[in-house]
Amino acid sequence: MPDMVALSRQQPQERQFNPYSENGGTILAISGADFSVIAGDTRQSEGYSIQTRYAPKVFRLTDKAVLAVNGFAADGNMFVKQVRQRLEWYRHAHAKDMPLRAIARLIQTMLYARRFFPYYVYNILGGIEDDGSGAVYSFDPVGSYERESCRAAGAAQSLVQPFLDNQIYFKNQVPQPGMTHPKHLPLGTVGDGLEMFVVLAKGSPLYGLENFDGVQEMTSTHEGERIFVVRRNLKRD
Amino acid sequence: MNSLTNRFSTTGPLSELKRAQALVENEEFSDSAWGSEAGFGSLAKGVPNFTVPSVPDPSAFLRLHTDDHADPNCRIKIQHGTTTLAFRFQGGVIVAVDSRATAGSYVASGTVKKVIEINPYLLGTMAGGAADCQYWETYLGIHCRLHELRNHERISVSAASKYLSNLVYSYKGMGLSMGTMICGWDKTGPAVFYVDSDGTRLKGDLFSVGSGSTFAYGVLDQGYRWDLTDEEAQELGRRSIYCCRTPRCLLWLTLEDGWKFIGNYDISKLHYDGPGETPGAGYGYDVRIERSTAAPVAVQA
Amino acid sequence: MDHFPMNWGRPRNDALDAYGTYPIAQRPYNGPTDAFSAGVQHTQQPIVTGTSVLAIKYKDGIMMAADNLASYGSLARFKDIQRLHPVGTNTVIGAGGDMSDFQYIQNFLDQLMIEEFTEQDGHSLGPSEIHEYLSRVMYARRSKMNPLWNSLIVGGFKDGKRFLSYVDLLGTTYSASTLATGYGSYIAQPLLRKAVEGNEDTLTEDEAVKIIEQSMKVLYYRDARSLNKYQIAKITADGVIVSESRSAETQWSFAEGIRGYGAQTQ
Repeated sequence: MPDMVALSRQQPQERQFNPYSENGGTILAISGADFSVIAGDTRQSEGYSIQTRYAPKVFRLTDKAVLAVNGFAADGNMFVKQVRQRLEWYRHAHAKDMPLRAIARLIQTMLYARRFFPYYVYNILGGIEDDGSGAVYSFDPVGSYERESCRAAGAAQSLVQPFLDNQIYFKNQVPQPGMTHPKHLPLGTVGDGLEMFVVLAKGSPLYGLENFDGVQEMTSTHEGERIFVVRRNLKRD
Repeated sequence: MNSLTNRFSTTGPLSELKRAQALVENEEFSDSAWGSEAGFGSLAKGVPNFTVPSVPDPSAFLRLHTDDHADPNCRIKIQHGTTTLAFRFQGGVIVAVDSRATAGSYVASGTVKKVIEINPYLLGTMAGGAADCQYWETYLGIHCRLHELRNHERISVSAASKYLSNLVYSYKGMGLSMGTMICGWDKTGPAVFYVDSDGTRLKGDLFSVGSGSTFAYGVLDQGYRWDLTDEEAQELGRRSIYCCRTPRCLLWLTLEDGWKFIGNYDISKLHYDGPGETPGAGYGYDVRIERSTAAPVAVQA
Repeated sequence: MDHFPMNWGRPRNDALDAYGTYPIAQRPYNGPTDAFSAGVQHTQQPIVTGTSVLAIKYKDGIMMAADNLASYGSLARFKDIQRLHPVGTNTVIGAGGDMSDFQYIQNFLDQLMIEEFTEQDGHSLGPSEIHEYLSRVMYARRSKMNPLWNSLIVGGFKDGKRFLSYVDLLGTTYSASTLATGYGSYIAQPLLRKAVEGNEDTLTEDEAVKIIEQSMKVLYYRDARSLNKYQIAKITADGVIVSESRSAETQWSFAEGIRGYGAQTQ
């Protein structure tokens, strides 16, 4: 088979404007029976420069949906703005929030509309489904997606994902004789800065979340789904 | 007068904003865009619009930024599928796939569902760009349903696959990447069609697509017969995926009254124990060693 | 069709795929053409450029600085260019990068402010609105592959709130209590962060000026595209003040003692 790498170098390469950049950072999400946790660091960098220590990558979309974006920050921010606009229009048309699985499909079509000029964005959508179960959807830059229990994306994906596979899917773990792995992870102990969103299903217990340091509730009522945000400082270097 | 100059001026804030809007709002937003016709809903009216970068050669642009094959250092790594196979036999169609998706050299996911359930009677497999397959086969599903509503009967596998191949052919050369088998059961019986992003569409008994396809063909060709029993056919599907060195194997069977999911097999379990619960009945190494005892032992140099 | 099975399911490469695929650039185009399209030039590289802009938050508002040089490559071409541009009464934008693109931005922002003023609806655009507008324009232009080749810092003070944010040719935005563009982001930013972070609410105007002066001096020493003639803008509750051009006192006598390169008699 011809060497593709060498072949492509033989072709003339036009020097032109590169519309993409990479702004670092990592996002991750975990879902359980009646909750989901979506986290992202808050550093934004380019090359070896830290642009800012606080640029959120995790955004609340509705009372039960949170979107984390990673990759090229300008694309990510603009994409979140567009998703929010579509969700607002949906709210005006139907007088309710879009269900999580519909948001996931919406994000697919919006990403795929840019199939030939892709958004350089890895999306992870977390939240509560209509049936009350916690869910995580992960997307590639052009919109292929699937529902999972946990997913990491971004600079540290290759370090975090194996850890999650081990801790959430119990990969390479052997249960004690006569025992089985728990089906869902209980929510307990689960950088510059870290921002972590916790979405709890309607009527779900708080799992000790009220005693967490620096936790802040983003929903005003206790009746429906509840969203909490935890902000932490990580090591500054 | 002011509005007149505004309207025809090519500089200034208003025209700049107009230009920005024309670009940022890449989808055709009509009044229906915020109703239930948002997203895929509007696709029923025709093929959706895609933003194309304004460069002399858009496909070269796309390749520069997304082709991890030619340049492992490119930024945007799109997920790709690897091994899929489908074959037709007297009892229906067996569809077997692995569950791994790669982005560059990284295994992006080990749990990808590479069979897209177009509707309860049609299955599409996914090899090549994961998003391309997911999106266009979902889109195909919409049109299959519209066909049902218009004609009061289910679309044939042939027509569905032709719809897909015509569709991707209109995007030929722009960088789409998909190799899929459309499988189902219609008036003609079980049917498998191979469709790829070049616009190729082939009717056949047996196909395998993706980087593991050569290995799968090896097993498939030696074990394939039209009159396989259901059990034999499923076993052939499992063994074919097994030989592609992948962690999991997913199996579907298409029947006259729609498809059904057979199972999700752990390949390492198949290696040692086989599909049943009998330890040592696996497809693996031991079996081959035992079988080859009659062969002469290699002489040590 | 690509006949190497190992390549199936991957984006194609024309080097291997001589048959069957026609890149759309090579397809005949039968649509309407613009007779002047050949004359339309996109900025694909900056020509006359400005270097760093610095900005910090301090007790009373925002302080920004930029020198007066517009370079033509390595030639110090224009030495009396103002790179801090007030927009309205609460905002200043500072620009590095292509100066013609910056002038275009100044132009359309000024027009925008006039249009807003003529509305007479009691609202005026503040720094955050101007930054949002700029970021949309910059992102839209990059998406057209026709960028405005600038790094812009928007500083402002409105309704008792300080505002400081950045946007560049890619549409990338961020805010922090100290910002710097160009060489300043490597050389001045660490100095600014050390002096400002954590002290945003206690730094006095005099202290802020000192920090800026010090940073501009270091930049003049190290950045070969800079000029020792710069302006400082401050945006406070009292409005915008852009200073007259000033110079930092610099010391070059140490150069006499350097040995090992250059023209030397001994």
